Amino acid sequence: MDVGSIYLIVAFGLLLLSAFRDIEKTKKALKVTGRVALTVLPVLFMIFILMGVIEAFVSKEVIAQWLGSGSSVLSIVIGEIVGCVALIQPAAVFPFAGFLHKSGANYGVIVGFVMTAILIGITTLPLEMKLFGKRFTIVRNILTFVIVFIIGIIFKVVPL
Amino acid sequence: MSILKEAVTYILIGLLLWGIISIFSPAKGLIVGRVAYDAFAKALKIIIAVFIIIGLIQVWVSPQTLSRILGKEAGWKGLLLASTIPVFIGGSLFTIFPLLKTLREKGASIAATIAFITAWSGKAPLLPLEIAFLGWKFAILRISIIIPFAIVMGLLSEFILERWKPRKEVTE
Repeated sequence: MDVGSIYLIVAFGLLLLSAFRDIEKTKKALKVTGRVALTVLPVLFMIFILMGVIEAFVSKEVIAQWLGSGSSVLSIVIGEIVGCVALIQPAAVFPFAGFLHKSGANYGVIVGFVMTAILIGITTLPLEMKLFGKRFTIVRNILTFVIVFIIGIIFKVVPL
Repeated sequence: MSILKEAVTYILIGLLLWGIISIFSPAKGLIVGRVAYDAFAKALKIIIAVFIIIGLIQVWVSPQTLSRILGKEAGWKGLLLASTIPVFIGGSLFTIFPLLKTLREKGASIAATIAFITAWSGKAPLLPLEIAFLGWKFAILRISIIIPFAIVMGLLSEFILERWKPRKEVTE
């Protein structure tokens, strides 16, 4: 069974439990669910289109070529930038990172790519800004970029 | 009413972008559609689950309870919790953000919120994949390093955000 199904079963289980204990509260909860869906789904729609646009114009081979060469500390930054831009599903991050490693990228670059691919996405920025505001978004994304750089240096130095 | 207006705006922007690309290159337009559909199909179950859980949290968890667990008064324990538990949660930023928005509204501190997001990148559910493609040394080092860094991220962000306030005292 996939992770999504497990989540769904847990959520419906909790919903049932909630309905047994207090049907009025559960109705209220479902109203909240509807409002959240109406707020978030349209943004997701736009984001998914953006993801498609990026994939349509940048091929994976080009990215690998970019990251395979270069062994300076700067290459970690490039790995991070690619991670920010190439928004791929978290589950696809590791297979692609393995592909990068085979193409010659060092572990500093790879961890930079993996972490920013999971934590920063130019396509998730609109959602983050909408939910948490501009200042929160700016601070979190910049700090994440810096911290991931430090992690990248650690991975470059530690023999793996 | 304004929720609806915003919803329509986002959908229109997406459709417009897709439409323009499809007019200039139908092949690329097809790729865009396929990627968008795949992403949506993959995330759909988790998205529905998270929306339901958000609703339940909203009615069942009182702000007092939550801020005792993840608020400022929770102190180190709250921060430690926010830096470890999320390592084991799946999903993507799309599903994590709405969930954290709810926790934040209920009284979770900025430090706990940002530590949560950072720690979530540990992605323990994907550990088998990570080991398969990058080796167990890489995977173990990455996941164990994330916890202290999540704490640092949380504290540092809170420190900055508490001092960087907009001129007109509105805190959204």
